[in-house]
Amino acid sequence: MATKKEEKQFEKERKAAIKAREKRMKELGIENFLTPEQIKYNKRKKAIGTVWPVFRAIILFGLCFIILYPLIFMLSTAFRPNEQMNDPSIVWIPKSFTMSNINDVMGVMKYKNVPLGENTLLNTIKMNLVASILQVLTCSITGYGFARFKFKGKNLLFAIVILMIIVPPQITTIPLYMQFHYFKPKFLGQLLTMDFKGTGSLINSGWTMYLPALFANGLRAGLFIFIFRQFFRGLPKELEDAAYLDGCSPLYTYVKIMVPNARQSFLTVFLFSIVWYWNDYYVSSSFFTNNNTIALMLKNLNTNLTQQLFDGQTVSVRQIIVWLEAGCLLSITPILIMYVFLQRYFIEGIEKSGLAN
Amino acid sequence: MSDTNKINTEEELDQAVQTSEDTAPAAAAAAPVKAEKNHKLSYEKRKGLYGYGFIALWILGTAYFFVAPLIESLIYSFNQTSVQPGGMEMKYIGFKNYVNAFRKDQDYSLALVDMLKNTALRTPLIIIFSIFIALVLNQKFHGRTFARAVFFLPVIIATGPVMDIINGNMSTGGYAGGSEQFSSMFEADLVDQLLNFLGIYNISDRLSEIINSLTTDIFNLVWNSGIQILLILSALQGISPSSKEAAQMEGATAWEFFWKITLPTISPMILASVVYTVVDSFVDPGNKVMTIVLNKSTNWEHGYSAAMAWAYFLIIGVCLAIIVAILNKVVYYEVE
Repeated sequence: MATKKEEKQFEKERKAAIKAREKRMKELGIENFLTPEQIKYNKRKKAIGTVWPVFRAIILFGLCFIILYPLIFMLSTAFRPNEQMNDPSIVWIPKSFTMSNINDVMGVMKYKNVPLGENTLLNTIKMNLVASILQVLTCSITGYGFARFKFKGKNLLFAIVILMIIVPPQITTIPLYMQFHYFKPKFLGQLLTMDFKGTGSLINSGWTMYLPALFANGLRAGLFIFIFRQFFRGLPKELEDAAYLDGCSPLYTYVKIMVPNARQSFLTVFLFSIVWYWNDYYVSSSFFTNNNTIALMLKNLNTNLTQQLFDGQTVSVRQIIVWLEAGCLLSITPILIMYVFLQRYFIEGIEKSGLAN
Repeated sequence: MSDTNKINTEEELDQAVQTSEDTAPAAAAAAPVKAEKNHKLSYEKRKGLYGYGFIALWILGTAYFFVAPLIESLIYSFNQTSVQPGGMEMKYIGFKNYVNAFRKDQDYSLALVDMLKNTALRTPLIIIFSIFIALVLNQKFHGRTFARAVFFLPVIIATGPVMDIINGNMSTGGYAGGSEQFSSMFEADLVDQLLNFLGIYNISDRLSEIINSLTTDIFNLVWNSGIQILLILSALQGISPSSKEAAQMEGATAWEFFWKITLPTISPMILASVVYTVVDSFVDPGNKVMTIVLNKSTNWEHGYSAAMAWAYFLIIGVCLAIIVAILNKVVYYEVE
């Protein structure tokens, strides 16, 4: 195998050789070598080859700008003193920078000055990690079961997985709320919430997230099961047959053979799960009334700002932007940092995780 | 490489089977064929049981967290509900909730039609756009990694409340958020001016309206096609370079290559993207129908809200079935 450097060298030499040959052909009269159609084809290809990269660069630059626009706007406003929002001479770069917006919003969103247990950031990260890890484990096991075993009613059960993808969570939220609120058996609810005199209601406890995740029914679990099934189906069967011949049980085979082979898709699903839990406010707003997650805080930021920061006074809608955008910045920074470092796995992971099949 | 490996392992397998047969006592060889068959059946049965074991957790969870609430909400939709301490009190009223949703509630049917129209208009746009971008991102150029990262960025952000703030529809005051500001950069007249510049005058108002809505919507278009781009990109990478070389040898232009090779190859993924787009736009809690449904349920009209949600869900299901049935005729599946 040639190294990358050598490959580049080969490519260079190849191109030089082609160029030299073309030059020689031109000197001898190109008509002697190629038919008129070939000459036309080559000419057209050359013309497209020169115009297209420029065109492509313009399109990509424009579209990247569109996508990055909100982020640039966020950066531009989050550090801007709020008086300067009304200054028409400022478009992107403010005249002075301030951290006061960020500080204010950190206070309102309970990032600081609260006991450790109520800290929004830590709370969100904790719930996210626990739910995502549980979800990845259980969904992968389920996906493997669907991919490699034949049993009665498999197609029907898999149809339910598809249904889980399609049914909007809004349909099941209210009955689920009732189920969590009047959780049966009662002692189990009391045990889970560690409140032995309480009603055993799981509302407002993290268990409304962990329990579904533990039973492969978390946020977008259907999609994850589907991804895992596709991935495991793509792995060669010989891998397991060898293990079975050696007398391994299916579970042992799964843990020892399949999981190491599926590392990439585990990581991808884990990352997606984190992102979706991080951004979810619908489910958490249904089951939490006073629990702090970042998405909920951000959703209620406008109200909270008016109550806590402005003392009920109305602030002009243009000036309030600085606080809102600062809140946005605060809430997406952790996930953005993760994305910057693991971006490779998001993109390559899906490509390799068998969704392509 | 991989092919020879495969053969090797297969041969080894065969050998393993043979040796085990060879070493087996003669009595086993003489044993009736029926017993062997029974043994095999039980092995398969055992494997089936293991299959149930693997999905047991999911079956339990789905029964409790998905199927039960689903049936429960279906029951709600046929009842008049009121929340009492200790549970939900219900009075059976038949299809009245459904009839009310379509007959009395004007907002609901209007929002529904609006929603369907929007989705029908936007889905093809998103798909064409994603195919185009995926084709571009599949080429080799400097900064490709960066471009890919940027195009996929919306998936990270766009699903959360951050998007609401960016769109500026969070406060009732309605200030200009990022997206609205961005749209205003392409103010309506720009398109008309461009058309005039090209020497096109007096085209119908309807057409320029459509073009306008396209240009002002480009922000949402780009922000909603992250996953689709990714799906199609992954399909594109399944096209072998040798087929491209062969096509070039035969003198096919890039245009012909796209229609004859690329499009059929990625068509299953296009179908997946279409389904994803439709589901995504239907399920989005920001859309009008969902807003109505959610408002009703926060007003404690659970039965009514459930009826609306179910009617909506059935309509989604029918739409999806129609789309998949039509597209399945066009989609090209490689027979292996």
